[in-house]
Amino acid sequence: MSQIVLCGRGGQGVVFLTRLIGDIATSKGLNVISAETHGMAVRGGSINSCVKIGDYQSSLVRWGKADFLISLDEKETQNNRHFLRDNGVILENSVKEPQEGILRIDATGMARNLGMVQLENVVTLGFASMITGFPLSPKEIKEGLMLDKRENVRDMNVKALELGMDAASPGKS
Amino acid sequence: MGNEAIARGLIEAGCSVATGYPGTPSSEIMESLAKWKKELGHRAYLEWSINEKVAFEVAYGASLAGARSAVTMKMVGLNVASDAYLSATYLGVRGGMVLIVADDPGPHSSQTEQDSRFFAWLAKAPAFDPSTPVEALEMIKRAYEISERYEIPVMLRPCLRVCHSRQNVTLSEPNQIADLGPFKKNWPRWAAIPKFRLALHGELNKKLQKMSIEEADCSPHLIHEGKSNKLAIITSGSVASHVLDTVREEDQFRDLKIFKLSMPFPANRAALQAIVDGHERTLVIEETYPVIELQVDDKRKLAGRLSGLVPSQGELTPEVVEDLILQAMGEPIRVRPEVQINARRPSLCAGCPHRPSFFMLRKVFDKGIYPGDIGCYTLGINMGAVDTCLCMGASIGMASGLTHAPDGNESPAVVATIGDSTFFHAGIPALINAVHTKTSFTLILMDNSLTAMTGGQPTPASMNLVDGSAANPVDIENLIRACGVGFIEVVDPYDYDSLKGSFERSYDYSVKKSLGVSVIITRRPCIRAKGIVLSTDRYEVLENCERCMTCVRDLECPAISFVKESKKVVIDPDSCSGCGFCVNVCPCGAIVKKVL
Repeated sequence: MSQIVLCGRGGQGVVFLTRLIGDIATSKGLNVISAETHGMAVRGGSINSCVKIGDYQSSLVRWGKADFLISLDEKETQNNRHFLRDNGVILENSVKEPQEGILRIDATGMARNLGMVQLENVVTLGFASMITGFPLSPKEIKEGLMLDKRENVRDMNVKALELGMDAASPGKS
Repeated sequence: MGNEAIARGLIEAGCSVATGYPGTPSSEIMESLAKWKKELGHRAYLEWSINEKVAFEVAYGASLAGARSAVTMKMVGLNVASDAYLSATYLGVRGGMVLIVADDPGPHSSQTEQDSRFFAWLAKAPAFDPSTPVEALEMIKRAYEISERYEIPVMLRPCLRVCHSRQNVTLSEPNQIADLGPFKKNWPRWAAIPKFRLALHGELNKKLQKMSIEEADCSPHLIHEGKSNKLAIITSGSVASHVLDTVREEDQFRDLKIFKLSMPFPANRAALQAIVDGHERTLVIEETYPVIELQVDDKRKLAGRLSGLVPSQGELTPEVVEDLILQAMGEPIRVRPEVQINARRPSLCAGCPHRPSFFMLRKVFDKGIYPGDIGCYTLGINMGAVDTCLCMGASIGMASGLTHAPDGNESPAVVATIGDSTFFHAGIPALINAVHTKTSFTLILMDNSLTAMTGGQPTPASMNLVDGSAANPVDIENLIRACGVGFIEVVDPYDYDSLKGSFERSYDYSVKKSLGVSVIITRRPCIRAKGIVLSTDRYEVLENCERCMTCVRDLECPAISFVKESKKVVIDPDSCSGCGFCVNVCPCGAIVKKVL
């Protein structure tokens, strides 16, 4: 049983991550239900989405119930913090230093270095996958990304994922 | 996704004609149908219709011809289709017909929070209310059974949280296409005059009565069996899922009973009353109007909207549900941290071809009145270029009204803006009306070749139909000419000088000389359309920038911002899409193309 809230700006790929997490969890044989934002808000507005893995019927996370908050934009973290449970973990795309309860990664910078700033979402997910208790392992996510039939997209996504993973364990690379 | 599950349900039920008009949160149903059609080689006929009324009529005609048909729309679309719907329930159907109407409590992407189940009540027709994508798929099949058994159009009313939720769904084999045989002439039924309508109304009332007693869907069923008789909850739709998860998660709610109604209208009134009588208190939680609640005859032990407990506006999210249950139990509500949400406002994309049109509109028609319309371009409000937004196509009708100022008031310059899809949907009669009445204003038809807001669906001017086959594209210029418009110009909105010239000539024609409606078609495909290759050019702001803010404030491009710390205007290369329109906008000539 795991509840995740994801947030960011329209166009950052929050919906992509939501679907990816859902698809991978489903392929593991888990029950998943998730909620997405579409329509007007997607034009650069604030976006959030929920993923609930386990025996749930509702796609929305109740305030104070999320285990993880994955934020692609630090300004959106504040708008969604109330979803997090006590001792829940925030994973944030930001250039700032980490602090208690907030783990940070400069995913935008790393994605730009990779030549495609749009990959910031996958970099952030790679980072999140290394956190204790995260419902999907790096290996499972990589396998999920490998299913993409477009070779160049697949390769870039895997590179981005690995960058995020390495950032979580600097000694490893 | 819920909308995919609904589409799958249609395919599995043997639906052979499906129509619709895009609108969040319903649009993906038709797109998924197109996907299944291709993947399975299914024979279904699919169409994005010009509007919801036509979509309903096409699906209804197909039902009379023996097909299982379906029509999809969002709730405000049903307002447009209501004329056909309210009459069709009297006449009834032959092949099963399912009306899928997606509601948007919140509202997140809509003009109203109307409850389509209420519309079903008005039309005297049944409405299913799914709680999850899985349930939506199964209900489609039930809806066809009910539709054919009672010869009545059946509504499926999924809320946003069903449409745009994703869940793992087990698929079954698609059924063969249903066929009840060819149309049989029977004018007293299919073309009934008032005398026969009275009889049909009587039959309709009998159908509803029978259905509410004999169909299990009309009676509440237990979904959580607590031990206590103190409090029961009756619920339906997506909010029923929030109720169930919340009750399961909190120990203090374990003893409650939860009943769910698959078909909130027509409800089995006796069954509802039995639940209310059997408990000390019954709480009704439904979205967004009190449809179930109003069907409970003795409301004395009832808590809900009518008792003032449940809010009458806004989405019933899980934390709202939790507090409602606590209040109904007589317990104090949760102490929650104060939440301050500074939501980012949505904005037209960087490089959106609508932005230059709005910029030029403000420049040439300064101090005018700008009636706007429904689509991405409603976001012209950010640029001060949209003053009104009522409903689909209203910009043109309202422009006429705004022009007819009372005697003594000087007629202002009125400029209406509308997108191509919305113009086809509901703008054409209003334009003919304006021409016929010799009304003088400017209409900017922003033609981006598709229905952008909802994900790029085709319009009647498109070369292809929803399933990719060739269409017969309708020529917009010819159409406008045929409406009797005397001034038509087509211009590329990225071309600053041509755009300015067109707008100035239109000002002269419609405002200065009052010669009638002038139409400027600003034509350039949406930057999100398939196959569009964006420019890799990037732009920068030089030191001679005087910080006049014309680009930041008047152009409102999300790629351009003023950085407080450095007191500089900067262009973010990550957000910029290289349209270069800002170069023309800068009065200081400080924006230039970067040399890479």
